[in-house]
Amino acid sequence: MVNELRELLRENVSSPPPDDVDLTGVLKGGRRRVRRRRGLAAVGGTAIATAAVVALTSLVGQDTGTDGVADGPPSPDAPTVSLAGATSAVEGRDYRLLSSYTNSNLDARNGQYFDGVTDDGFILFSDGPHGPDNGVRRALMDPVTEEKDWLPAAPHSNEQLWPVDLGADRLVFTSMRYGKFRGGELPEGEMIAVVYDRQARTWHRMSWPGLPALDEPGSGVLGPEDRLYVRVPATNGEPPPGGWPKGPDGEADDADAEGDTFALWSVSLTDPADVRDEGLVVGDVAFTDQSMVWTDRTNGHSGLIHVRDLASGEERSFDPDSGDRCNLLSFGATDDRIVLGQYCGTYAGGVRDDRVQVLATDGEQVVTVQDSSIDGGLTADQGSLVTIESHDRNTQGTYVYDLDDDRFLRVSDSVSQWAMGGPTPPGMFLWHTSVNGSKGATQWLGEMIGN
Amino acid sequence: MRDEAAFVEFAQAARGRLRRTAYLMCGDWDQASDHVQEGLIRVYVAWPRLTRAGGEHAYARKAVVSAFLDHARRRSSTEITAEINPDLPSGRDVAESVSARAALMAALARLPLRQRACVVLRYFEDLSVADTATALGCSEGTVKSQTSRALDSLRSMFDDSPLGELMTEGAPSW
Repeated sequence: MVNELRELLRENVSSPPPDDVDLTGVLKGGRRRVRRRRGLAAVGGTAIATAAVVALTSLVGQDTGTDGVADGPPSPDAPTVSLAGATSAVEGRDYRLLSSYTNSNLDARNGQYFDGVTDDGFILFSDGPHGPDNGVRRALMDPVTEEKDWLPAAPHSNEQLWPVDLGADRLVFTSMRYGKFRGGELPEGEMIAVVYDRQARTWHRMSWPGLPALDEPGSGVLGPEDRLYVRVPATNGEPPPGGWPKGPDGEADDADAEGDTFALWSVSLTDPADVRDEGLVVGDVAFTDQSMVWTDRTNGHSGLIHVRDLASGEERSFDPDSGDRCNLLSFGATDDRIVLGQYCGTYAGGVRDDRVQVLATDGEQVVTVQDSSIDGGLTADQGSLVTIESHDRNTQGTYVYDLDDDRFLRVSDSVSQWAMGGPTPPGMFLWHTSVNGSKGATQWLGEMIGN
Repeated sequence: MRDEAAFVEFAQAARGRLRRTAYLMCGDWDQASDHVQEGLIRVYVAWPRLTRAGGEHAYARKAVVSAFLDHARRRSSTEITAEINPDLPSGRDVAESVSARAALMAALARLPLRQRACVVLRYFEDLSVADTATALGCSEGTVKSQTSRALDSLRSMFDDSPLGELMTEGAPSW
């Protein structure tokens, strides 16, 4: 008996079940990915460490003509600096180098990563995913001795965890349990909290049956009273009739997008039955010690910024006066400062108008860092450091802006192609540089030295 | 502007073939739909560049193969199943045909990911070595060696079964 390979292959697919690939879902997913500026595609399929900042941008392509955009980016109506205004940081004078770790070839295999730093200064060190089960081992590493305290395996060692609170007593992560990717919609997921008790050396998982489904990982911001604040999708911004105008790179330029909104819910980290609809529609949300801060929309025009005093409940709102074409891509708040990462359009020559806008909680314009192909955000909820990555060939590197004393430093002249990092305590910051012809990366942990 | 109408037209025309290719690699129609959906999203993102450069079909095929490989890297290969459709019309004896087809899917599932992709691209998509290398992002030499090893394994699995020999009509030799 003879079996012909081609024939068997074709027979196996000659009567497929009905096609459930829904192009509505494809269009929706594609538009969303384009609007996120295609950044994460650069890191490939490897399971990666969590990025400290959200809005990784991509380099622009060649200039192929535009649909009527101005010659150059407009100047923000705020004190403005460009990357050229940064001075080169000097180790020992501007910052202390606490630790570093190199993966020489992440193209070849997954590696080990600094996924953040705990409040008491231990590095959350992750190894993997590796092996047939795609398991991840985690340790707390002393940056001085480099000694690693390997944690017992998490309940599901192969699920990706996003750190929410790296405390001295516990480590809190969120994860997602997804439904099937079927039909016209993107898969929805159930948020899970994974908590490690550092003293008892035990893990436990929590879920909240009363919490609506989510569609994105990494949800959950720690707020007061040990509650996680969770954004439940409400509305998705749509492209204008006829689609987005073409930018100089030939791509759809989605600057001044409508933006997405979310219903704000909160859940208790101690009681799975304690689920609360906060009755607010938000874009992004963040907390300081004194206030809750949120925008009307995100991933598009931010709308107003709202600040609620946690003690008195008083609220005030103001227009951040971001540029007309600015899409909000990252958001954070600390003390009396609010930090917005924005993409504000592409201009002649492929020059992008990317910004990191810093406001006071009373609406005052503090500073805006404006340049091409940058993204940035706060390194810690209670800290004063804003890290900015530049992916532009001429200015590539990581920059740190210290909100306390307005120091603006360039700490590296390369950025690896991998997204890595995590939350750090106030005063510390993580960055990563390229090694081995961009095949690998070195992660660095530094601590600012005060003036 | 991004020509969504042209993209939709392309996606409607291409998705059936892409889904079949994905199924032969992953062995599960639902997963195949997921891979096609993810692959088409990647095509959408790259669409303005593709429409200028041409090669949309090749890019879509590469995107679906990448979606399959990415998914398989993240998950255990034990998800691979070998579903068969007993209602398949065939001129051959049904029992024999179903067994041979099922055996092939089971044998494919036991191959390493890239070997499996090589077999599907070379013998189902009828791609050249060069085009297969492009789709997989590897050298032509790698395609040749991976395909050769895959065929050896498949033939061996068939030889060890009562189903008889597995032939590769018109296959290049290396």
